[in-house]
Amino acid sequence: MQIDAYITEYARKTPQNIALEEGKSSISYSCLDNDINATASHLMDFGHCRFAILAESGTQYIKVLMAVYRSANIAIPLPIELPKFSLEKILDAAHVNNIIATDAQYSRFGKEFFERFGTVIVISSDTSGVILRKKIETEKNNPELRLVLYTSGTTGTPKGVMLSDRNLAANAESIIKVLRITSRDKGALVISPHHAFGNSIINSHLTAGGSIRVGNMNFMDPVFNLIGSGVSIFYGVPSTYRILLKYPDRFKRAFANVRIAASAGGGMDRAIVTDIKELAPDLEILPMYGQTEATARLAYLPAEDVDEFVGTIGKAIPGVTLDVFDSNYRSAGFNITGELVATGDNIMLGYLDDEIATEKRIINGWLHTGDLAQKLPNGYIRLLGRKDDLIKIGDHRVNPREIERNIEENNEVSRVFVVPVHHELMGTAISLMVIPAEGTEIEKLFAFCRKSLPGYLCPREILFIDHLPLSENGKISNRSIIEEYQHVKASM
Amino acid sequence: MEQIKNDIVDYLKANSFMDNSSSLTDNDSLTQNGIIDSIGLLELMDYICEKYSIEIPEDMLTPENFDSLQGITNMITRLAK
Repeated sequence: MQIDAYITEYARKTPQNIALEEGKSSISYSCLDNDINATASHLMDFGHCRFAILAESGTQYIKVLMAVYRSANIAIPLPIELPKFSLEKILDAAHVNNIIATDAQYSRFGKEFFERFGTVIVISSDTSGVILRKKIETEKNNPELRLVLYTSGTTGTPKGVMLSDRNLAANAESIIKVLRITSRDKGALVISPHHAFGNSIINSHLTAGGSIRVGNMNFMDPVFNLIGSGVSIFYGVPSTYRILLKYPDRFKRAFANVRIAASAGGGMDRAIVTDIKELAPDLEILPMYGQTEATARLAYLPAEDVDEFVGTIGKAIPGVTLDVFDSNYRSAGFNITGELVATGDNIMLGYLDDEIATEKRIINGWLHTGDLAQKLPNGYIRLLGRKDDLIKIGDHRVNPREIERNIEENNEVSRVFVVPVHHELMGTAISLMVIPAEGTEIEKLFAFCRKSLPGYLCPREILFIDHLPLSENGKISNRSIIEEYQHVKASM
Repeated sequence: MEQIKNDIVDYLKANSFMDNSSSLTDNDSLTQNGIIDSIGLLELMDYICEKYSIEIPEDMLTPENFDSLQGITNMITRLAK
């Protein structure tokens, strides 16, 4: 069943129940369903076409997303935290001819940005849509394709994860089971809805007939008011919790009546768990693990095991099978390191317009996650880093080699190395080690990074070095770069 | 008042996405225009507290006080008294 069909069903069964809340306003299932129909009516004559969505987080975004589903088209939400040229890179890769934007984003990005599209629809806050132009073209798409989520578009080639209705519904059902979500639950959506985690909050709460309170993490007073407004399930990436925990008194009051604090997008560390438990002893802490390639979730750590097993990702969510494979694609024994693999109805259809990348990730029906892992005797799984060189920065998965190449190609430098460094709130930020060339200026490098990279990738410091950070066997890896960085810092 | 505003603009230029060329009116939203994100706001707050030797009560961490140059300037002026 399509996610938006659940909304129609609840609009019939419980029309007055609140579906979405934002600021001082709220909308019932019945009104939400009508608004979705109104927007979808503009899209009905397109036949399974790709629609980019450019909208800030909020009720408006959810309505547009559901309208694209309802009209049987394909939604491609754009991560609006990225700078303009990163979005253009995604648009180039996605071959998308149509866009729906909120009027706020239309005026922010300006008319020129929209010239590439055959169809441009601008939605205002009262849900009335203005069709600036319309050009219906025939597209050839995977018949099951419903949603494309971009995993990285900051520097290198962006990868669009193709998801089907079945993927979305299956993962929503699994999450509902794990968190025991009912129609009485109110979920807090303060993280970006354009990525897998935020998207899963929308899907699971609307599938359960419950409500969602939409906000953002920008201003602390409204965030704590939002949490204290009757939210029963709060969702955050680890840095969300680090930020909230900076205000222990407010945290304690706001979370007094929250049932579950769920996390994903990065490993929860023991310090966060300890601090939360001290302030809100009755709050269930539920760390989850997943990937966009698996719609959102793959595993969870049951609340009762958080103390003992916070270093693991726990076990598979219902409907998913996890295993650890050795290099011959055979199931590895306990405590043997291999690659974490997964099957289930939530595994993506593949990467958009990229069969080669798809074949590398989905082999014989198993999603190869790229995460190195070990099975523990109790069935839980421990992660041991990435097979490739990807790292988590501010809870975003990034490829340091792509960032390095991007900076090298656009600046006067000889070589650039990205070093993951500790950051109080983000968990991990980056510093740069640079082998300078003639004309290298630190200020210019900082300026380039600020302008061309998303905020979480702005380097904390830039250090000059005079030789390559090679390992003993002459290779450059994250490890050799970190070791060189520690050496440089120690000698400063 | 103008001095405070200039200090904040200098800080934003040195620490966020704001270009030297980009113009920002006093009431433009910093978050909606992608000038600053939630982590950046917390860092800006630390900078303000230190530079003006003020403490910002938690109930003042609102868009009215932090989302525009005018709002930030007004807040600092009020607290620095």
